[in-house]
Amino acid sequence: MRLFKQTHIDFMGKRNIWYFISALTLVIGLLGVAFKGVTLGIDFLGGTELLVRFENPVQVTDVRAAVDKIGYTGSEIKTFGNANDISILTARQAEGSKIADDIRAGLTTQFPNDKFQVLKEDKIGPKIGAELRRNAVYAVIATLVIIMVYVGFRFKFIYGVAGVVALFHDVLVTLGFVVLFNGLSPHLNLEMSQDLMAAFLTLIGFSINDTVIVFDRIRENLKIHKTESLFVVINKSVNETLSRTVITSGTVLLVLIVLIIFGGEVNRGFAFTFFIGTISGTYSSIYVASAIVLDWTNRKNKKNALKAAAR
Amino acid sequence: MKKNRGKIIIILASIFLALYFLYPTYQSYMLTKKLQKLSGADSLQYVQDNDKEIRSIRSKRIKLGLDLQGGMRVVLEVNVLKMFEEMAKNKDDQFNAITADIAKEAATSDETLTSIFQKKFEEKGIRLSRYYGSLRETNDEIMKRLSDESEKAVDRAMEIVRNRVDQYGVSEPTIQKQGGRRIIVELPGVSNENDVRQLLQGTALLEFKLMKDPDIIYKTLAAIDKYLASQGFVDTASTKGGTAKTETGANAGTDTAKASENALASLDQADTTSSSQSVLPEGQKSPEEVKKEHPFLYLVRPNQQGSGDAYVSENDRATVDRILDQPDVQKLIPADMGFYWSSKPSFISGGVKYFDLLGLKKTPELTGGVIVDARATIDPNFNQPIVTMEMNSEGARDWARITGANVNKRIAIVLDNAVFSSPVVRGKITGGRSQIEGMENIDEARLLEIILKAGALPAPVDIIEQRSVGPSLGEDSIQAGMNSFTIALVLIVGFMLIYYRTGGAIANIALIFNVLFIFAILAAFGGTLTLPGIAGVVLTIGMAVDANVLIYERIREEMTTGKTLRAVIDAGYGKAFSAIFDSNITTFFSGVVLFQFGTGPVQGFALTLMMGVTANLFTAIVVTRVIFDVMTERGATSINFG
Repeated sequence: MRLFKQTHIDFMGKRNIWYFISALTLVIGLLGVAFKGVTLGIDFLGGTELLVRFENPVQVTDVRAAVDKIGYTGSEIKTFGNANDISILTARQAEGSKIADDIRAGLTTQFPNDKFQVLKEDKIGPKIGAELRRNAVYAVIATLVIIMVYVGFRFKFIYGVAGVVALFHDVLVTLGFVVLFNGLSPHLNLEMSQDLMAAFLTLIGFSINDTVIVFDRIRENLKIHKTESLFVVINKSVNETLSRTVITSGTVLLVLIVLIIFGGEVNRGFAFTFFIGTISGTYSSIYVASAIVLDWTNRKNKKNALKAAAR
Repeated sequence: MKKNRGKIIIILASIFLALYFLYPTYQSYMLTKKLQKLSGADSLQYVQDNDKEIRSIRSKRIKLGLDLQGGMRVVLEVNVLKMFEEMAKNKDDQFNAITADIAKEAATSDETLTSIFQKKFEEKGIRLSRYYGSLRETNDEIMKRLSDESEKAVDRAMEIVRNRVDQYGVSEPTIQKQGGRRIIVELPGVSNENDVRQLLQGTALLEFKLMKDPDIIYKTLAAIDKYLASQGFVDTASTKGGTAKTETGANAGTDTAKASENALASLDQADTTSSSQSVLPEGQKSPEEVKKEHPFLYLVRPNQQGSGDAYVSENDRATVDRILDQPDVQKLIPADMGFYWSSKPSFISGGVKYFDLLGLKKTPELTGGVIVDARATIDPNFNQPIVTMEMNSEGARDWARITGANVNKRIAIVLDNAVFSSPVVRGKITGGRSQIEGMENIDEARLLEIILKAGALPAPVDIIEQRSVGPSLGEDSIQAGMNSFTIALVLIVGFMLIYYRTGGAIANIALIFNVLFIFAILAAFGGTLTLPGIAGVVLTIGMAVDANVLIYERIREEMTTGKTLRAVIDAGYGKAFSAIFDSNITTFFSGVVLFQFGTGPVQGFALTLMMGVTANLFTAIVVTRVIFDVMTERGATSINFG
């Protein structure tokens, strides 16, 4: 079975349209980040989070009223997976387990007929929250730098830069989607947590793969077709690698769909983030990474030609 | 066959090794099943009979993370600053101001506490020798000693925490040091937070302190009262005290007013017995007037029998603490005396708890270092929980001397600055025995026993992170993990078979090996499987076949050129290798970074991801290649790659 017979798609010819579409997606995503903001989870925010399971379904508004009543106004309260599970998150800090105890006591008095059990309880001190936030930023930067150095070392420097630009593109597009989709469904919790951070980092390591496959073929074809222009070589390379690019991403997307549906609440956010990132990564290996290499080289050649003419 | 013999041996050996490492996990699974089948008493008997074997199996199986089996994770930070403060001598206002400044900066800074400590003192131009060591020592010398001390303290704290956890009886706890002064404690299957808090945080500084003469205590209280009245002190605590407490605060207010008259009467009594000049209540007054004239004794009510105790309602504790902390008030308290709270309320009146405030001699007569054994029991006479303690010979000798010298006086037993009991010494106690009373129930007594036996923490510890997962959530997570794992495996195996036919079947063999190796490496190196870790395995299933996809796509391309099967396979593997290697190594890099910066469950993900891509290089390239080679050697002229 073959998904793609010999294709001859003119990818590079239409790159300006795709540059525009990429830019548009990025702008929409970044506007989302600017206006809707990135919701921080307990890991990065610090505070206390309780996940409680009621015997009967409850209304979020009722729980909010109960939590407000004991004085923790402004807490974030939402369903977690199903109508019986409620997550209560407050950024406030107090000695010991006071906040959790207060919330527990408050829920017991406010819902006398609906028993509940605490499934999970997290308390993160302000220092840890700040530290994890900083670590997350360091981690993303470290990964990007490592990959840029590696790809630059394995290919030409410009390939490394183009690859990392593509990665930035993927991270930002994914971030935009994550922000826009956060809170749209009670089944999809996309606040920034360590799990989401894991998705972003893995994404950086994984989405470079498609780019490497295409670059690898470009390098090979450049040796074989020395007379052809870079434009033709890149188009040829992308076409030749198209089926493997799609299938390698496809198998990963397949397991991600499985994780989104069956993997449980914690893994759903992770899988969703990675899903968006993988699609973006496949796309960007063609229209961002390869296109940048083409445009950069063309410009450099033109400059060199001008210099030569001037002499 | 010949040229691959080495490879085949390596493959078979690694499969054998993998199965060897995974066998305990399988045994443990069967054991759990068996125990579930047996009834309560039988299963207990079985566990007892096979204790050693079960332990050995459990220690070698794949460990489940707290998010899968439920439990608590606590991150402790040794409060080095507190330790430094306690080590200092001649502390003055300037010292306190600087340490407060240090605490503020340390809360946000990346620098180590010791370097902030030194920096702050040097900024102010104050030599450390003023508070530490001898005058001749330089700042660097003193800092070196302090930082040595702090390192030792962290190690000792870890040892003690380990002791306590072991005695508390948690199976398979993890205790590790993180950075300079943090201790991560993971307690599977534990859910009682308050117990754990006390277990880990109680410094267990046990002290026997002599109570000051009641006369002196009451005189001091009266002096503070007089001073505050002269300053026009107004208690604002009940209005400030937070919204949640307003109701009880108001109740306590009226209650306090009523009780305060008794208190003043008793003060009068105390004062007359000690024939000192003091404030006398002038007939009946309204509560406001009493409050204005006796702002302190309105809050702190001395015992009417002149026992030396003074009672404070739970709502006023914070206010009293604030008053006692004021430097001006400190000056009124004799230099060798300190005020300590009782660990439990002395009595409850009108639904409000009253705590005992005791004036004790600051220097302890004896400390907990002399305790060699402790035991929690029920006192048969009063039917209340107690902890009996046994001292070493040196402690016993001291104890006999101290009790002998202080007959009819009271000695307070103080644990972590809370007074547990303050009995009157009836006579000389020989044999080095003592007991602690005042626990609410036997569980609390048992906890105290553990803490006393394990020893005192060298410095206070703060809990800076605490996560607990209930067992039911863990079960849900395991189920979700298993489901997604199975479904993903079936889908990918099916896809590979349909798309690449024979090639797909061989890739699937490699895939199964890959999964086997991930779990085997986890078991062999004692790694922990978490829910994100399972996601990592599922993700690996999707990524592992990618290597074979790259190879097969290449083989398909080469087939169109009309080469022989063997040449086609050679070219496919040869040309796809660099792309496979590059992509695996970049994914591995992100796993390394993630493992470095992530915590807990996320590290579990990084772990399975790294193992997945590493095993992938072996299974997808070496294992499949050997299979193809064997096939061609046996005379296959064509293999179906779909």
